[in-house]
Amino acid sequence: MSELLQVNNLDVRFDTARGLLHAVKDVSFTLQPGESLGIVGESGSGKTVLSRATMGLLTMSTAKKSGSVKLNDLEITQLSRSDLRAKWGTEMAIIFQDPMTALNPVRRIGDQIAEGPRIRLGMSKKDAKQRAIELLKMVQIAEPEKVLKKFPLQLSGGMRQRVMIAIAIACNPKILFADEPTTALDVTVQAQILELISSLRTQLNMALILVTHDLGVVAGHTDKIAVMYAGEIVEIAPTKELFSNVRMPYTEALLNSIPRISNESGVRLPVIEGRLPDPTLPQTGCGFSARCKYATEKCHTERPPLVDGGSGHMYRCFFPLGVNK
Amino acid sequence: MSKLNQIIQAVFKLLLVLFGATFLLALIVRLLPGSPADFYTNALDEQGRQQQIKDLGLDRNVLSSYFHWLFNFVRGDFGPFFMSGGSTRPTSTIIWQAVPRSLLIMLYVQIISLLISIPLGLITAYRADKAADRVISTALFTGSAIPGFALALALGYYLGVRLQLLPTLGYVPISEGLGEHFKHLVMPVLSLSIPLCASYARILRAEIISTLRQDFVTMAVSKGISNSRVLVKHVLRPSSTSLITTAALNMGGLIGGTVIIDQIFALGGLGQQITFAVFARQYLALQSYIALIAVAFIVFTVVSDALIGIVDPRTRNKNA
Amino acid sequence: MLRNLGLFSKISFGWLTLMLFFAIAGPLLPIPDPTAFSDVSGAGLFTPGHLLGTDLNGYDLFANIVIGSRNSLFIAIISVGLGGLIGGILGIAAGYLRGKTDYVLTVFFNIFLSIPNLILSLVLIAVLATSSDPTQTVADGRRIVVIIISLTIVIVPILGRITRGSTLAWSNTEFVVAAKSMGMKDLMIIKRHIIPNVLPSIYAVAFLAVGIVIVVEGALSLLGIGVGQGISWGSMLARSQGDLEYAPTSLFVPLTFLAFTVIACNQVGDSLRQRLDSRESKL
Repeated sequence: MSELLQVNNLDVRFDTARGLLHAVKDVSFTLQPGESLGIVGESGSGKTVLSRATMGLLTMSTAKKSGSVKLNDLEITQLSRSDLRAKWGTEMAIIFQDPMTALNPVRRIGDQIAEGPRIRLGMSKKDAKQRAIELLKMVQIAEPEKVLKKFPLQLSGGMRQRVMIAIAIACNPKILFADEPTTALDVTVQAQILELISSLRTQLNMALILVTHDLGVVAGHTDKIAVMYAGEIVEIAPTKELFSNVRMPYTEALLNSIPRISNESGVRLPVIEGRLPDPTLPQTGCGFSARCKYATEKCHTERPPLVDGGSGHMYRCFFPLGVNK
Repeated sequence: MSKLNQIIQAVFKLLLVLFGATFLLALIVRLLPGSPADFYTNALDEQGRQQQIKDLGLDRNVLSSYFHWLFNFVRGDFGPFFMSGGSTRPTSTIIWQAVPRSLLIMLYVQIISLLISIPLGLITAYRADKAADRVISTALFTGSAIPGFALALALGYYLGVRLQLLPTLGYVPISEGLGEHFKHLVMPVLSLSIPLCASYARILRAEIISTLRQDFVTMAVSKGISNSRVLVKHVLRPSSTSLITTAALNMGGLIGGTVIIDQIFALGGLGQQITFAVFARQYLALQSYIALIAVAFIVFTVVSDALIGIVDPRTRNKNA
Repeated sequence: MLRNLGLFSKISFGWLTLMLFFAIAGPLLPIPDPTAFSDVSGAGLFTPGHLLGTDLNGYDLFANIVIGSRNSLFIAIISVGLGGLIGGILGIAAGYLRGKTDYVLTVFFNIFLSIPNLILSLVLIAVLATSSDPTQTVADGRRIVVIIISLTIVIVPILGRITRGSTLAWSNTEFVVAAKSMGMKDLMIIKRHIIPNVLPSIYAVAFLAVGIVIVVEGALSLLGIGVGQGISWGSMLARSQGDLEYAPTSLFVPLTFLAFTVIACNQVGDSLRQRLDSRESKL
């Protein structure tokens, strides 16, 4: 198998005071080397938990994880903590939503970037410093030598995000998990950062898992898109295919709710009525059925399986749009 | 506000407090019923007495005698100490002998407390909410609330009187033997450092627990570095501001504690001297002692603020 | 309010209530006269007739503890009460009015705070409790008053600073700013909005302060500047220090009561503070 990452039936539950919270329900997907996958969903859909669970970063909390995650055919869910840790940084890396809280406020930028190469790649202080400068150049930060000595406080939001990216790619990971990398940024900076990530991807032949709630973000920068709802993947397809042949009513609703300049003024923005179902309650039927305008009796009672509609397009719906029964 | 302006403002406030504190003492001392001179002097005849009153500046009003004292104080002349029987010692000799001991003890206490509390805080924070942690936390809480002299008396009795393991009285300077020096200090230092250590560990634990929830810790972990490295290099520094502040604030309590310990174990430090001065009614000497303490305390506060500025750059340029 | 407390807090609260009971009901309880000599001296715990033993003079320790609790607790409660009142008023003034008032008051607080508690009270008591005749000591009643005054003075800046901080925080809340903008009188705002919100934090610290005062009173007595002939836990400590070898219980009984009471005060104060923190973090 030439797949870089294979996730099968990943399931995550949390023991909380309110009950058992089923955050990720039986999720499966694959990732080829250098491929970029977008995971789209509302807040609370489980997408963040999914990315962390895939990487194995959930080990410190009250999480119950099951399922399989194979990195280059190696089952990483069964690895010991130190073996798993050996994969972090060098094969998998993650960047977070808010660069202000994700960078250590009391340590200098240079130290934070150089730490990976020094500890994981065994570079000397001098070499690591050089590498840090190199990385800063790669993320298009001007005057890297000066920035090395600064503290996160002293940088702008966009620069901090670039620094975070530099830290993440420092050891040449094969997969980069980007957890809402642009949500905390201004719109203009968003585009720049996304461009940067894309170009780094091609430069380093790095696979990317881009987690976001913003369909617009994934539209231009991903090879394929997975739509998550209430802990499940409800639709997954190559990007162009998803946008032209949307099957799942939820995805359709998402697409419709993107504000466009071409929309008529004075017309209300289409919204998706209702809210996410309570993740502590067991799911009956399709998770989206309560809010779906096409829902039928069957939708409320039976859970739709993931159906392969051809050309890499899978969806979880009894009555997919545009498909004649 | 420019940086220089800020510094000047801060120094001014500091000096205000310093002068205020010492003046307050001078005022209090003047509150004594009757003529202050009755208490201070020990001269055997009237002429000697008048001379001593002049030396002490007591023939003037409060303000000018304060300045008289202040002028001498900053020159290191702490005034005379009149002993019973008519002899006089310069207070400065007393201070130079007693203060280093007390400072040494306080240093030992702080060092030991920090040395033990930092790993203790780290471990309890790391294993927070597990069964062991709850037990240890309760123990820490109790430990931090026990008054130092209670521990001193208890330790003194069990280790000193019953088991005869350690000497209960006296102080041995380093020059007379390191072993004896430490033996005499074990109980005093322990009595003060146990509550302090417990208090530090609790504070550190709380801070670390809250730091651990931050994203940058997950980020550091995701780089693949070991947990211990993450704890020491990434978590400890941002969590230490509260500790440093507390350490400085505690200096005041520590000084007070040292006074009592001094008395209980007869260590001849500033504590005993203060008590002695009180009973000998040498209030002027007392004024100098306490002025020193106030100065030291203020210096500690300043130093700790500076330390926080170094350790945590977030607090620099706060008012900029 | 008592429902959600942990076990430790409940125990602490119970202990404090017991101590308070001793203090209030003391003389009415069926205990031997604390100043009565008895034949049994240096007795240990649970000797028949003497619940907690006796000291070298034959004084019953339990009786002394109960009667002693009056002085120890009342001194603490009155000092903290008075100190809290004065400190509270000054703190609210500083925090609310800001500007010059705040500057002056803060410097004032800091002046007192720069002298460690024990030492400040030591000096105050030593000076105020000195009689004009150097050979005579001062009457007990006056001593106690002096001690209370000195400890109050020590407490004022402590509680004052806390109150100031709390007032500052609450003064910046939107509803206070709104009230001001509507022309509400300052005194009214303080009464209606500031005081009810600042009071809980004062309560929490007040308990801690009571603990501090009890300790200081004990320490002062050990140093020889306590309540003199009167009975307090501190004076019990002072008297028994010399008898340590022969009658250790006479030291450890008051010591234990003192330590437990201080720990209990800290526990209650701490749990109050925790509840407060969760409330104030929403500020």
